[in-house]
Amino acid sequence: MLGPRDRLIGELYIEGNLRVSGTLEGQIEATGDVDVTEAATVKASVAGREVNVSGQVNGAVVASKKLVIGRSGSVVGDVRVPRLVMQDGATLSGKVSMGPQVAAPQPAISESPIDTALAAPVPDGEGQPKAKRR
Amino acid sequence: METVVETAPAETSEDGVVESRRDAQNKFTLGPGDSLEGKLIYSGSVNVQGRAEGEFRVGGNFEVGAGASVKALIDGTNVTIRGDAEGTLTARDKLTLGKSGKFNGDVTVKRLQIEDGASLNGHVRMGSFEQSSSS
Repeated sequence: MLGPRDRLIGELYIEGNLRVSGTLEGQIEATGDVDVTEAATVKASVAGREVNVSGQVNGAVVASKKLVIGRSGSVVGDVRVPRLVMQDGATLSGKVSMGPQVAAPQPAISESPIDTALAAPVPDGEGQPKAKRR
Repeated sequence: METVVETAPAETSEDGVVESRRDAQNKFTLGPGDSLEGKLIYSGSVNVQGRAEGEFRVGGNFEVGAGASVKALIDGTNVTIRGDAEGTLTARDKLTLGKSGKFNGDVTVKRLQIEDGASLNGHVRMGSFEQSSSS
């Protein structure tokens, strides 16, 4: 959807799928899949359901379903996904969080189910009478 | 006991980390019922199918089989994980996380391949290799 000569600087929210071939800076959030093609340069935090990276991504990536980094893909930034596929030749630098032990709360993404899990209050050992029963 | 050790002169020099030596004909296999705890510096390849804990610096390849459990500092040329592993990992060439592979901890690699279904938690550093491997 964003062609190779197109450029977007700012915040993008999309209901549906997004395909980036150009330059993007800022923040992307899609309810559907995000496809970063080989020609693309993305300097943004990326959030989507399934994220496919064949180009360059500089920023945090959150996928609610899956992240695929293709042979020519490169991701520099923290990654939080339930499933991750990396093809040989792909580059990844950053912190990877998968599975239940999710760390580091990520701002700006409100729709990801992981966030709601994070938002759950953790009882802070302060006189919880329910927990202790004699 | 399935442990097979073809005793070869083990690489004991810690500083002289063998640079991508691939002539690893020596192979150390830890069977499914076996377990190892401690430090191993070995010029060949290691295949773990049981339990291993400690520090493993391997000149060849290091493989964690499906069902195996490893808690260690791992240093090898090619590292393949199909079981459960945690610790700090350095692969001088490539790390492969198989379908059933799980790794918790920090990873420094030149190349990284992750198959669908694998799980990874930790920092990933790729590319530039500085000799941070001090004992």
